Amino acid sequence: MTIMPPRKHGDASDGVVGGRQTRFEGSLKVTGAATYALEYPVENVAHAVLVQSTIPAGRVLNVNAETARAAPGVLLVLTPEDDLGFTVASDWGGNRPENQPYYPLPRHVQFNGQPIVAIVAENREQAFEAAKLVSITYEEAPHVASLDDPNAGEGKLMGNLVFNWGDAEAALAAAPVQIEGTYSTPREYHVAMEPHGLTVKWDGDQITVWEPSQWSHGMARTYSEWFDIPYENVRLISPFIGGGFGSKGAALAHGAVAAFAARKLGRPVKLALTRPQNFTNYGGRAATRQTIRLGATEDGILQAIVHRGASETSTYADWPEQTGAATPILYKVENFSSEHRVVPVNTVTPGALRGPGKNPSSFGIESAMEELAYKLGMDPLELRLKNYADHDYQSGKPWSTRRLREALTEGAEAFGWSRRSHAPRSMRDGRTLIGWGIGCGTFPVLQAPSEALIRVLANGRVEVVSGAIDMGQGTYTVLAQTAAEVFGIPVDQVEVHLGDSRLPGSAIAGGSMLAGSILGAVHKAATAARDELIGLALNDENSPLRDTGANTLTFSEGRIAVPRGEGPSLSLPELMAALGRDEIETRRNTLPDGASAQEHHQAWTTMAKVQGPTMGEYSMHSWCAHFAEVRVDEDFGTVRVSRIVSAFDCGRLYNPRMVESQWRGGIIMGIGQALLEEGLVDMRNGRTVNNNMGDYLVPTNADVPDIQVISVGVPDYGASALGGKGVGEVGIVGVAPAIANAVFHATGKRVRDLPITLEKLI
Amino acid sequence: MRDFSYLRATSADDAQKAALQAGAVLLAGGTTLLDLAKCGVTEPETVVDITHLSSLDGIAVDEGGATIGALARMSEVADHREIKAAFPAVSESLSLAASAQLRNMATMGGNLLQRTRCSYFREPGVFAACNKRNPGSGCSAIGGVTRNHAILGTSDACIATYPGDLAVALVAFDATVEIGSRRVPVDDFFLLPGNTPDRETVLEKGDIITAISIPASAAARNSTYLKVRDRQSYEFAAASAAVGLEFEADGRTVRDIRVALGGVATKPWRARAVEQALVGKALDAETVEKASSLAMEGAVSQGGNHYKIELAPRVITRAIEQLGLKVGGLA
Amino acid sequence: MTRTIHLSLDINGRRHELDVEPRVTLLDALREHLALTGTKKGCDQGQCGACTCHVDGKRVLSCLTLAAQVEGREITTIEGITGENGDLHPVQAAFIEHDAFQCGYCTPGQIMSAVACIREGHAGSDEEIREYMSGNLCRCGAYNSIVAAVREAAQATVKEKMEVA
Repeated sequence: MTIMPPRKHGDASDGVVGGRQTRFEGSLKVTGAATYALEYPVENVAHAVLVQSTIPAGRVLNVNAETARAAPGVLLVLTPEDDLGFTVASDWGGNRPENQPYYPLPRHVQFNGQPIVAIVAENREQAFEAAKLVSITYEEAPHVASLDDPNAGEGKLMGNLVFNWGDAEAALAAAPVQIEGTYSTPREYHVAMEPHGLTVKWDGDQITVWEPSQWSHGMARTYSEWFDIPYENVRLISPFIGGGFGSKGAALAHGAVAAFAARKLGRPVKLALTRPQNFTNYGGRAATRQTIRLGATEDGILQAIVHRGASETSTYADWPEQTGAATPILYKVENFSSEHRVVPVNTVTPGALRGPGKNPSSFGIESAMEELAYKLGMDPLELRLKNYADHDYQSGKPWSTRRLREALTEGAEAFGWSRRSHAPRSMRDGRTLIGWGIGCGTFPVLQAPSEALIRVLANGRVEVVSGAIDMGQGTYTVLAQTAAEVFGIPVDQVEVHLGDSRLPGSAIAGGSMLAGSILGAVHKAATAARDELIGLALNDENSPLRDTGANTLTFSEGRIAVPRGEGPSLSLPELMAALGRDEIETRRNTLPDGASAQEHHQAWTTMAKVQGPTMGEYSMHSWCAHFAEVRVDEDFGTVRVSRIVSAFDCGRLYNPRMVESQWRGGIIMGIGQALLEEGLVDMRNGRTVNNNMGDYLVPTNADVPDIQVISVGVPDYGASALGGKGVGEVGIVGVAPAIANAVFHATGKRVRDLPITLEKLI
Repeated sequence: MRDFSYLRATSADDAQKAALQAGAVLLAGGTTLLDLAKCGVTEPETVVDITHLSSLDGIAVDEGGATIGALARMSEVADHREIKAAFPAVSESLSLAASAQLRNMATMGGNLLQRTRCSYFREPGVFAACNKRNPGSGCSAIGGVTRNHAILGTSDACIATYPGDLAVALVAFDATVEIGSRRVPVDDFFLLPGNTPDRETVLEKGDIITAISIPASAAARNSTYLKVRDRQSYEFAAASAAVGLEFEADGRTVRDIRVALGGVATKPWRARAVEQALVGKALDAETVEKASSLAMEGAVSQGGNHYKIELAPRVITRAIEQLGLKVGGLA
Repeated sequence: MTRTIHLSLDINGRRHELDVEPRVTLLDALREHLALTGTKKGCDQGQCGACTCHVDGKRVLSCLTLAAQVEGREITTIEGITGENGDLHPVQAAFIEHDAFQCGYCTPGQIMSAVACIREGHAGSDEEIREYMSGNLCRCGAYNSIVAAVREAAQATVKEKMEVA
């Protein structure tokens, strides 16, 4: 076996905020030592599996589970007959209906694949086999399978998603150049590599939940509400999450069932959803449809945008996938009208999937803009620059920072856009048609309060402690860098503890709001700890730095010294020893001073305190421009992405290495969205039939070219304490239209419904 | 998976005896068996592990052709130098299938017996009707999501696509399946669904595939396997073609041509009409295109899979063009 | 009652004795019975590659392998490729250096696949690496970095062989 010497993880300069430090938890992940939720050793665990509905709508008349109860190893069978005693938990905003019962195993069937029965057995195989023995009789009701179902109707208008300014219809009618297109996106799924699942253990009225979570505090709150126990009695543990992409932010029905079963049996229960159940038991991105009409002058000045969109939702909750989310802010437009509807269908309620709203919205407006460009005979890059929004026309506020122009021009330069030949089908290599396209993306800056604890230990190690999570964005790494910078120590002198609802509260890892929020809290707590150390060092009678006459101290290269390097310098352990301290601990949060205990709880366990992008003086967003090259086989209709250059304005980058990885990841998910991904629904029973990774296709390594990413951002201190804007969501936004636009350029065929599969091109 | 007992066969005789027991199935690579056992499609009572039988994994190539033991792994055959030289289409059909890991596991014999990817077949708990699983129960796929279903060889009872790649190359080059002392041409080995889609091959209870033999031919030596799919890798074919081509001494006139299709039919599909239309002809683009379209005689669209009727002939055309260009025959 | 059988499995150079039902896969034996949780369960149906480990030096999917079937074979998992003194395997080190993962869940499978890919001689070009690593899905989208890491580790291996020769 070949052994290489251990590498140092980057240079010293990488270990500060903005440095290219390698992944802090990297060695745990490459050796298999990182422990994910279902991998905790829990003694005497029983295994639960779910039996799902096979009809899309109706009522359970009878469950015959007698043979299942008698099957080998079976410990417990739960059916809709069992009263689990739950009441509905709070929604994202923290609003909770009074005494509304919650049935995770309902009698009333709302979608095909809904959990109806749970079986708990000594081992998982036994539970699965027993599950096959359950027979359920239903009274079926008429159903609506999907947004395309003729009975779906036009849905409900969402009053909060109606936006109008100027007179869009009149301006459109008067515009000399007009285009109209209807764009649609299918049901899409997260397909995180780690399936959902959990292990639950009760100790009296205390519950421990090992479950992958994008939001340890929010999910712990849900469990406490379901069981009507104090929040403090719940501990949710999730230090590593095998991908979430929006799917792991909330506790779900299977969690409620497992937790109930564990309490009932008086022993720990593990419930691992199968891969197919990861397609049916929680919502992916809703299917969307939107019609866009653009009016422009002959020289390409936008006069009006009229947008009418709709997305599917479930029959029991309204989840709008906001097709009008990016439409109002990408371009300068004086006359605008947008409406969005939700159409109830028999599906599990859709959820957030990378770039919610902005993503399908961008597919609409960015496809439409290129359609306009071709109608005008204008370079699509020129059209975009010509209609550059100097401020936010929706809120009327100035941008905090918006380097989308630089993204477009620097991206174009790196891509070689000037060598483009304008006419469709004008670039080819034998039977392969080549095309180039642009897609712009945006995602709002969301801010949430967070709390963090810093502990300086006698041995000089610094601990960062937070309930925040890391699902691969790099939370461990950037928090270590933040602490390392404040204390002037190498990153490997820092420890980071995350992913536990008992730790200080944090923003959700979602909506690209975590890094900006938690870094602010960690920086504040670390600075406070340093200040406390400085105070002690200058005043403690045992401190060698006491009589230096300095009024502050520097922390640099692992030494604490007076400014300008005169006099003694000490390492952290030396100083702690001199001070006789075992540890110094500070806890700080970014709530306003004097916030009540209830406000604290609300801040960490709900979204009530989240600030939107235009709640202050400015309009704050991340921006990007993608340049895609596709190669389309003229005979087969197969599309391969051969090149992508993407330029981003995400403000200051806390760690460019992590950021670039996230950008590429978003872009790759966008390639999947553009070309492969589509939940195929059987209209006869509302079932998603391609509910596995062999039939719901996500990109493989071979589908992905080298992707060049460029940062054009500048620090935006309005957006966050340390100047960064969101990174994770924006990467996918605009990729699908860039590819669709490139496909048009290659083939002359405009595909307005994703994914762009071969049958649409042959 | 249903509880089963496990038997490790130590000899071929051993295996055959065990395989004759009611509810017994053979375990070779396991990539289909365990997958379908997890889906609840297959519920064996006894699993007879034949992977420890070293007598069945040889690969022998000589002037007459190749004989490949049933337990040779896909990856070994794909990378075998002499197979690559004498049967490039066979090697390519293997390397373009599944993934490197699965090719290290799956055996040649087992690969032939790979079962359909029809979503309705694979989900017995949701779609009770499936004539392949449960004869006489009906076909859930007809009228459902049919993008990946077959256009050729279908019946009112079943439209499930044969998913494999290897057998497509084998059927093109007149390979035979050895079942003990019996030798069955690959084309006859696979059965059309008709009214009995549950019967996919001629294998009887207790039969064990022992080897696959492929006769050498000039067409096999100048052959290719072209696979078209949505994803660049790790996916079944939307349409594929195994083509072999031999020219007369003039370097233009076709002496022998073999064409078989994958991803579009209920069994590995030899397109004899295309072959017959081209033998004795000098190849030009128009002739090839016209002949390729003959492969679609009798094709039935289910709606969602209509594109395959357009796509499949183009795949044949391209494969012939590629081979023709390679030897300079195409005008 | 369900039946159990006794198995002796040679994993990472160590003999493990266990009593399991015959239907237990190698993946479940590792994760549920032997506390070797580095091998991941992503799909449990041969479609993602997260469970990749080596049997007799070849990469296979442990989710479609019965534990009983690999008795007498040499099994290597992600826990078995680091050096005796804990030093990272060159592929592991290259994965960290190139940031070839985010969430880390597909990573053990990617690394086991990459080690085999290099050993098989299928890491000769970026295109070949992409194709021969396509049996390992990564939803975080670390593919560019995975290719870079495999390329670097493969080049290091070649260089080392030349030096030995």
